[in-house]
Amino acid sequence: MNFIVGAFKPACHISVAFSDGKNRKQIPIKKDNGQATTVPLFHSQDNITGTIIVEPVSGKKVEHNGIKVELLGQIEMYFNKGNFYDFTSLVRELDVPGEIYERKTFQFEFSTVEMPYETYNGVNVRLRYVLKVTISRGYGGSITHFQDFVVWNYTPPPSINNSIKMEVGIEDCLHIEFEYNKSKYHLKDVIIGKIYFLLVRIKIKNMDLEIRRRESTGSGSNTHVETETLAKFELMDGAPVRGESIPIRLFLSPYELTPTCRNINNKFSVKYYLNLVLVDEEDRRYFKQQEITIYRIGETS
Amino acid sequence: MISDGVVEDEEKWLSAGIAGLQQNAFYMHRALDSNNLKDALKYSAQMLSELRTSRLSPHKYYELYMRAFDELRKLEIFFKEETGRGCSIVELYELVQHAGNILPRLYLLCTVGSVYIKSKEAPAKDVLKDLVEMCRGIQHPLRGLFLRSYLSQVSRDKLPDIGSEYEGDADTVMDAVEFVLQNFTEMNKLWVRMQHQGPAREKDKRGKERGELRDLVGKNLHVLSQIEGVDLEMYKEIVLPRVLEQVVNCKDELAQYYLMDCIIQVFPDEYHLQTLETLLNACPQLQASVDVETVLSRLMERLSNYAASGSEVLPEFFQVEAFAKLNNAIGKVIEAQENMPIAGVVTLYASLLKFTLQVHPDRLDYIDQILGACVKKLSGREKLDESKATKQIVALLSAPLEKYKDIDTALNLSNYPRIMECLNDGTHKEMANVIVQNIMKNKTCISTAEKVDALFELIKGLIRDLDGDTHDELDEDFIEEQNSVARLIQMLHSDDPEEMLKVIQTVRKHILTGGRKRHPYTVPPLIFSSLKLVRRLERQDESVSGDEVSTTPKKIFQLVTQTIEALTSIPVPELALGLYLQCAEAANDCDLEPVAYEFFTQAYILYEEEITDSKTQVTSIHLIIGTLQRMHVFGVENRDALTHKATGYSAKLLKKPDQCRAVYACSHLFWLDDHDSIRDGERVLLCLKRSLRIANAVQQMANATRGSSGSALLFIEILNKYLYFYEKGVSQITVESIQDLIKLIRNEMQGDASPSDPAADAFLASTLLYIQFQKDKGGAVGDKYMLITD
Amino acid sequence: MVLVLALGDLHIPHRAPDLPAKFKSMLVPGKIQHVICTGNLCIKEVHEYLKTVCPDLHITRGEYDEDSRYPDTKTLTIGQFKLGVCHGHQVIPWGDLDSLAMLQRQLDVDILVTGHTHQFTAYKHEAGVVINPGSATGAFSSVTYDVNPSFVLMDIDGLRVVVYVYELIDGEVKVDKIDFKKTTTPTNLPH
Repeated sequence: MNFIVGAFKPACHISVAFSDGKNRKQIPIKKDNGQATTVPLFHSQDNITGTIIVEPVSGKKVEHNGIKVELLGQIEMYFNKGNFYDFTSLVRELDVPGEIYERKTFQFEFSTVEMPYETYNGVNVRLRYVLKVTISRGYGGSITHFQDFVVWNYTPPPSINNSIKMEVGIEDCLHIEFEYNKSKYHLKDVIIGKIYFLLVRIKIKNMDLEIRRRESTGSGSNTHVETETLAKFELMDGAPVRGESIPIRLFLSPYELTPTCRNINNKFSVKYYLNLVLVDEEDRRYFKQQEITIYRIGETS
Repeated sequence: MISDGVVEDEEKWLSAGIAGLQQNAFYMHRALDSNNLKDALKYSAQMLSELRTSRLSPHKYYELYMRAFDELRKLEIFFKEETGRGCSIVELYELVQHAGNILPRLYLLCTVGSVYIKSKEAPAKDVLKDLVEMCRGIQHPLRGLFLRSYLSQVSRDKLPDIGSEYEGDADTVMDAVEFVLQNFTEMNKLWVRMQHQGPAREKDKRGKERGELRDLVGKNLHVLSQIEGVDLEMYKEIVLPRVLEQVVNCKDELAQYYLMDCIIQVFPDEYHLQTLETLLNACPQLQASVDVETVLSRLMERLSNYAASGSEVLPEFFQVEAFAKLNNAIGKVIEAQENMPIAGVVTLYASLLKFTLQVHPDRLDYIDQILGACVKKLSGREKLDESKATKQIVALLSAPLEKYKDIDTALNLSNYPRIMECLNDGTHKEMANVIVQNIMKNKTCISTAEKVDALFELIKGLIRDLDGDTHDELDEDFIEEQNSVARLIQMLHSDDPEEMLKVIQTVRKHILTGGRKRHPYTVPPLIFSSLKLVRRLERQDESVSGDEVSTTPKKIFQLVTQTIEALTSIPVPELALGLYLQCAEAANDCDLEPVAYEFFTQAYILYEEEITDSKTQVTSIHLIIGTLQRMHVFGVENRDALTHKATGYSAKLLKKPDQCRAVYACSHLFWLDDHDSIRDGERVLLCLKRSLRIANAVQQMANATRGSSGSALLFIEILNKYLYFYEKGVSQITVESIQDLIKLIRNEMQGDASPSDPAADAFLASTLLYIQFQKDKGGAVGDKYMLITD
Repeated sequence: MVLVLALGDLHIPHRAPDLPAKFKSMLVPGKIQHVICTGNLCIKEVHEYLKTVCPDLHITRGEYDEDSRYPDTKTLTIGQFKLGVCHGHQVIPWGDLDSLAMLQRQLDVDILVTGHTHQFTAYKHEAGVVINPGSATGAFSSVTYDVNPSFVLMDIDGLRVVVYVYELIDGEVKVDKIDFKKTTTPTNLPH
């Protein structure tokens, strides 16, 4: 019995190739070992087909109890490392128990796979899709190989997309009315709006608009929230007076945003907020946070 | 000192800023050279970040800005080339907006915007509108001003003006105007805001700094004026009202003054004329502390110059009723600003006056109206003392004089003398001098008594002491003044003798109020004017039968007598004497024997009682004898009486040589060539002999006091007189007497005791030569002289 | 060629306001070497004006002159000529040429410049010339009716002097000229 997994070179070399991999958009990802690579992009309801090549290393024949390929959709919580939750699991048997003494090619096909969630790499959680090839062996351990792929899902532009318009303030100090042209933005969208000053009794130094991502994992009393400021965009330099209207035009494309996701499998949510920040001469900060929805729009729509 | 420290710090910050800018520019250039758009954007944004500083004063910020400006020009060229290399302008426009900090972002945006407009892929108006809107993000006054100034600079040649390559659709000019107006309005707001930043104690410093920035704001108006498509209509309906709205609403003294003046200087005069009312209505709405007087003055000055440019523009002025509007506006402004200093009020009226003189020179009623308004403002106050105000008043009053070159016109302005009343003594005199100089310069002739009266009333400060004037010293200024008045009197003339007499009487009335110290200067010219009139009348008498004439020489002489009397109370007897003698001669020419005699009497009285200085006596004697010698009007008795006195005076002169000369001069009193009855050889000889005796006495005195004989000059002079009368045929002058005299002279001159006397030698020589010349002449004269042997 | 300006009897401000403008424009500073003035300016401003025309200024006293320090007579030598200046009110009868000739003999000068009568005269006799430049302003004179403004410019060249007289008649400047040649200086006759 070999207890040290991975200490030895695998007996077999496994490689996975997608049949239409070259035609698909390649998305850069970071592998577990830190290496950067690119993998093909799939969408929900796609067919995932390809070939798997198994080749014994150094010609030694390998005995096995069966070869299978699984398509897994996994959510991994970092505080529970190694703890994967598979929300999708499909399997295809590739070979019956036997021996591999030479290179063997298997075709696989997963048709119209439901992959409702997008690939996501966050602070405390990640969601991945992966093809897992397993060569089962009783002793000596099974040989596995993982092939990641990315899934993105497009949403059509929302039929209702109200603007956000609100008046906020601190009594006798500062009253503003802010307006963002939509409440739902796609990843390459532009936030257009304005800040109108109704009352200014403080000495403002400048005003920024931040984009913050809030990733919450867990539920109930175990909820863990991570907030990251992904963008800090200066809207105004200097002190306005009452009646000034400051335009907003913030392009989202330069920032690493992902679509809003709520309650993915009851495991985690990723939400986005616009945070309007005003700083006065004494470095006091006044802010108003407003949630927006970010979605991924189709290439052609 | 704190300020020194601040300045030092600023230098430091500026150097640091420049260093940072240059360093990033260096990397930017590298990126440009290798067509690396990403790096170009990165380093240019970093470079522009130096402009985010708050540590520099406007002056130093400008230095930093200029360097950035130069670098951005290179970047602009690169952007243009990039669009040729496949990067679309729209993409580029978006890319630069990814910059996180707003100030660099907007500078880059304006730079790309420039390329965008040039590419014509979008209408200029759209790009410009977007740029001017986005610039709102900079609310910091200094940074905002410079950013918008940058926008103005890069957009200047890309406005969608008519005839430009960026011309748009039907509203193209409106779009261009709208853009510039927007930028202007925002810039002005920022500029005004600067006033209220910072601590109250630094208010002056802020004011000064704002002054340095004013041209950034004013430039927009200049751009507006250069837009071809802005015609009168658009200026009237849109440009001016919008600009004025901003000017009035900003309620800032500095901005209002500067911008009003800018409007006036930058837009054409025809436009101002046609929008006069709108422009003027803004004035009372300005802050009370704005120097609206100067603004209005400059406007009127401009319009005056416009009017002067050619007569074809004058109808425009009439058509828009420019005068009425300006007059109204000034009234309103003065009313609105109760505390306007009087200098300001007068400045306004002075400018309006000059304007009116240019545009409506024939409307004396307007001129008078303006002066009247001034009078209203000035009366009831203390007499003006403040120098700025008095300077303006002098300018106000001088303007009509200069324009009309004719004191007549000024005299016709009913309010002119009223303003003079409001002046303090010093200014009054100054103005009176101006008036006199004006008359002298233009050689104006003043020809009626009425006008003379008005004129002298006007310049009364020169004529008499005003209240509170206690000048007793005769300083140079005073003398100069009085000499001007004397010269002025010469300019008064009427062709009608009646009128002229009235003129003289009027002048007399005025100058007699002048007091003793003025009379020596003012009386003589008046006397001579009178004598000129006498001569005129005298000549006229031959052609005109003067029954109805009330002006007679006699009358004038009466007047003259009374006037010269005024001189007697002052110690100028020799002047009075001279004048009496002049009058005597004039009376002589009019055959008025008693009058002439009276004048002589007065002269003699003066001589006897007042003239004590020996040198003056000599001169007076010469005048008396000289005048008397020419008199032909006297009868025997009168003549005798006067000559007797004259010879008496001569003999009593202090210095013997003077006596001698005066006595032999008297000899001429007894021999007049053209008067048969006055040829008294006896008396002639008597005088000459007497003078000889005196000459002898002189010699003796010289011997006694100096031990040597004096000059023989006197003898030679007397000899010449002998020759004179000999030649005239006075029988009592014999050849022997002449020869004896010559002998005598020679003795005197050759004596051992006599010192050499070249003057006498020469005189004798030339006298003898003369005798020779006469001999050589031949004829009757030659014969006479031939008898003289020496 | 030496230019000498002779003028006098301006009587400013008692009898005339100023020199005629046409005269003023002719009297350009720097062109004239000497100025002789017979007197009766009468005030300081006139003296200063004349000085600007030419700094070498010779003035004799007239009876109305403000400055009593001017001498009664003055003699000066210009080139080959001896000139004498005197106002003339001292020489009686006024304007009498013989009496003036006597003064000329007394001063022992070739040219006698004198005034007072306000009438231009140039009288030549065996011993020299008597010149009266008249009144530069046309001032009133009891002696002469109808005085026209006049002055004299003498051009002294060796033994010759050309006398130019400028008269303002009816607003126009008229010029006349008279030539004088000096005979060689006669030697003194023995006593």
